[in-house]
Amino acid sequence: MISKIVKCPICSYKKTINGEPGEKVTLTCPKCNTKGRYLFPEGFQQVTNNSDSTAIEVNGLIKKFNGLRAVDNVSFNVKKGEIFGFLGPNGAGKTTTIKAMLGLIHANSGEIKINGYDIKHNGKDAKKFVGYLPERVAFYDNLTALQNLHFYTEIKKSSKEECISLIEEFGLSDAINKKVGTFSKGMVQRLGMARAILGTSPILILDEPSGGLDPRGVVLIRNKIREMKNKGTTIFISSHILSEIQEICDRVGIINKGVLVAQDTVSGLSKKLNLKPKITVELEKMSNDVVESVKKVQGVDKVERIGKSIDVICDPKTKAKVILAIESAGGNIINLYTREPSLEEVFMRFTEVI
Amino acid sequence: MISSPILNIAKKEILDNVRNKWVIILTIIFASLTLVVSYFGSIFSQGWQDFGDTIAGMMNLVQFLIPIIGLMLGYAAIIGEIEKGSMSSLLALPVARLEIILGKFLGLGGVLSFTIFIGFGIAGIVIGANVSDVNYLDYLIFIGATILLGLVFLIVAMFFSTLFKKRSTSMGLAVFLWFFFNMILPIIFVGIMAASIGIEGLASGDFPEWYHALTLLNPLSVYSALVSLNVGPVSTIEGISVSYPAFYSSGVMILILLIWIVGFLLLNFWMFDRRDI
Repeated sequence: MISKIVKCPICSYKKTINGEPGEKVTLTCPKCNTKGRYLFPEGFQQVTNNSDSTAIEVNGLIKKFNGLRAVDNVSFNVKKGEIFGFLGPNGAGKTTTIKAMLGLIHANSGEIKINGYDIKHNGKDAKKFVGYLPERVAFYDNLTALQNLHFYTEIKKSSKEECISLIEEFGLSDAINKKVGTFSKGMVQRLGMARAILGTSPILILDEPSGGLDPRGVVLIRNKIREMKNKGTTIFISSHILSEIQEICDRVGIINKGVLVAQDTVSGLSKKLNLKPKITVELEKMSNDVVESVKKVQGVDKVERIGKSIDVICDPKTKAKVILAIESAGGNIINLYTREPSLEEVFMRFTEVI
Repeated sequence: MISSPILNIAKKEILDNVRNKWVIILTIIFASLTLVVSYFGSIFSQGWQDFGDTIAGMMNLVQFLIPIIGLMLGYAAIIGEIEKGSMSSLLALPVARLEIILGKFLGLGGVLSFTIFIGFGIAGIVIGANVSDVNYLDYLIFIGATILLGLVFLIVAMFFSTLFKKRSTSMGLAVFLWFFFNMILPIIFVGIMAASIGIEGLASGDFPEWYHALTLLNPLSVYSALVSLNVGPVSTIEGISVSYPAFYSSGVMILILLIWIVGFLLLNFWMFDRRDI
């Protein structure tokens, strides 16, 4: 079954229709009575089941708590080798989705596959591929950092030898034989990242990886994420800190109130929302003529004069015209910056309180 | 060496309890209490008593102490890790929930069995060296029965730890359970019997068979029956000597304790499997 939103070509009335691939339907616009036909695309699947290229498949995930839908019909795919950012405000359902992906909680409905293994029926096989950094990182406080990591390698059946070098890499060499109970929040978070990487799992699921970290720790972990990506690891990161996601993610999914409201590349999302880049032009001398002539350019949304420079929000295609208009109005350009729409704006638009 | 997550988890539990010193503390408690009871236990004799008298003296103490230790080791086994957050990381590893329960039970049960065996064992060696008439087999049966009793309370407490959403609830119920089996249930049973056969019947010590059957609902009674049947008469009610009916046998008692353990182990699997972490 495919769901499509169709638009009446005459009156622009929008309607959602359902049908099977290849099915041809005749529609009558309920508003202006225009008749039209629609052919559902063939070979279209909501979720591609090609396990050769898909690392994580989530299909129709629903999880209710006390009757409320904490996660409401969420579906997405993460391709192998990709960094997927999972964004949403606090309490949007990020951690619930992740916990369902790992079989920590039981979904009310939906299907989750990791490397093709169903988490419900082949949980042990599915989890072999995953390194996980939980939202709330915790260890066995009575055991040392090294004893803790050894325990996890035993169950993962990976080499114990990498434990020491991983602890060193995350800047915890001094604490290697100290009980984790004596660690600070930041140290626990770093050790948590080391634990996730143990055994070089092909898939990493990181729930708020920079929680509780100082700036140095944030950089350390970000570099590590990049390094893992270069090794071909698939990485799923949930966060509400947008800047770090924007820098490293190939694609993002935005969840709000349990519903996945968007799923695309960062630039794809801003295109969908019609978010436009902002050009800041610094001039030798500012004049009203310049401002007025820029305002007249077609495709310019907003012009703002700030001292000797102007901020112009316009279509990407109009940039050149704007610059021409400034020059022809006698403006002498000293400097020019373009700022692409940020994930922040995308995020705010998608999670607006309706 | 067999590498199974069950053994890894069991080993971790043991290491944890070695590190937090519980293993050594429990061993010392068991050894010193046994020695104290053996040496000072009787007002009629001075010095060391033989195993039979020591065991008789230990029975009440064990019935108070061992359930507490079992409950204490078990009540936080699962919920403690869930509250702390370490359960998420453990469950995200390639391990089945059933293996976690088995590993925990094996590890904690190992700690309990080891401390009872070594603690009571050290005391046994000291006592054996000081008395003439030594029956080590009786004493080993006593240790074995005590371990079984401890495992019953451990697995029941572990069930609370998979059932409740809070560690404090699980602890509260563990404390209640201890009171229930030690105080409330025996009073209820004696009350029922007194109402049925009168005070004179009670004083005669000639209890009806149904009463003996009823008391088998209490694992503490099963334990004391098991020890009495093998080691010698131990009164269940202070000052009254009781003779057991024919259907009391070591096999039945061991079977009942094993049913408790296996039954609650299954309840643990069932509950933990359904649970959201």
